[in-house]
Amino acid sequence: MDSLPDRFDPWPPGVQPVVPTPGYPGTFTHSPAEAPIRRPAGRGQFTGPLDLDRKLPCDEMNLATPNPGRPAIGQLIHIAGRILDEDGRPVRGAVVELWQANAAGRYFHPNDTTRDAPLDPNFIGNGRVRTDAEGGFGFFTVKPGAYPVPTKEVWWRPPHVHFSVIGPASLSRLVTQMFFPGEPLNPFDHIFMAVPEAAARQRLLATALPPAEVGAGWLGFRHDIVLRGRAATPPC
Amino acid sequence: MLKPNAPLLPTPSQTIGPFFPQTFFQAGDNDLTRVSAAAAPSTRGERILLRGVVRREGGIPCVNAILEAWQADAAGRFRHPKDPECALADPDFLGWGRAWTDAAGGYEFHTLLPGGFTDAAGPRAPHIELAVMASGLMRTLFTTVFFPDFPGPNEADPVLAAVPAARRPLLLAQPDGEAAGCRAFRFDLQLRGGAETPFFVE
Repeated sequence: MDSLPDRFDPWPPGVQPVVPTPGYPGTFTHSPAEAPIRRPAGRGQFTGPLDLDRKLPCDEMNLATPNPGRPAIGQLIHIAGRILDEDGRPVRGAVVELWQANAAGRYFHPNDTTRDAPLDPNFIGNGRVRTDAEGGFGFFTVKPGAYPVPTKEVWWRPPHVHFSVIGPASLSRLVTQMFFPGEPLNPFDHIFMAVPEAAARQRLLATALPPAEVGAGWLGFRHDIVLRGRAATPPC
Repeated sequence: MLKPNAPLLPTPSQTIGPFFPQTFFQAGDNDLTRVSAAAAPSTRGERILLRGVVRREGGIPCVNAILEAWQADAAGRFRHPKDPECALADPDFLGWGRAWTDAAGGYEFHTLLPGGFTDAAGPRAPHIELAVMASGLMRTLFTTVFFPDFPGPNEADPVLAAVPAARRPLLLAQPDGEAAGCRAFRFDLQLRGGAETPFFVE
């Protein structure tokens, strides 16, 4: 593993979401009131688990047809991308976890009980893979539906896919969400819009692939995820 | 056009939300002493239990918060190439675990008492790194658990020293009796307000 990052610059301004987040009441009861404390980064920050695939099964990439012959309801899509570091180097062996609502906007989760949108018996909606040598990953799934958040003000989450990425260092750990381009709900979403810089929000948007490139089996989306971390000596 | 060596903009954090799949967890995910579910636990060190409750403003328990622990082995080594003594690290110790909080906000990790080491920051007291993710948290929170067994090394630890003296005790796990034949320690997290847990710059 010659490509392990050993330099972690602070988050560039405008990338991390504003906290507490306007319009998202939960952040006002959960976000620390005290400013985070600056500390010297140590070995615990530059290291992380590299062989988690022994601990966490990393073989679940087909969410759309978990049962042969009984596909999930919804628009079949393939999401493919690469996990990169800030130098653009592929992060191989990263653990990528994905979870999402079904096409009706309902999660297969005991806590999603606020409305009676239907569950799909053929859709659980979570998967986990490990990136290949090029940092690549891919999932077959269905496009998630939008759903309302039970807050006082009307707030609909746009279709989105949750990603959790465990990279080569504690400081490269990332939990994020992927959004679909051109969705009318995107600019009204308090979570998406919590990211101040438009260029940084662009990072959260998948790219729709031209159908001619993908074929008639499913719609294709490309989504690269950039983890923090660089080489102390930049590549030439 | 990107300049040569210009960094890519990192992907922003977003909340883990309330629906991180419970099906992602299997028995033993919160056991740092096993490299896989089927593996035998490492015995190279003192087995301990680390447990506590995660609370938000007003002392209300956080349900379905996700905690991830990462630590050196009992001799203070990480099984990672950025540790110069990586080759000597305990091959049976994973050093990573994940737990989610129950309806009362409770979590627990099974692990070994970590060893101290010296790194670029200075002489490090034995500690466990914790990452906290939850609905209502748009950014992952990072904190560090220290142990009351090591008053001297704690005094010299540069990360503990970066915390205002009045808040340092909040980063010390408290002896919490015995459980399953090993010492238990309690580390409660208060995300906001009151005796707020010190969190570090990401």
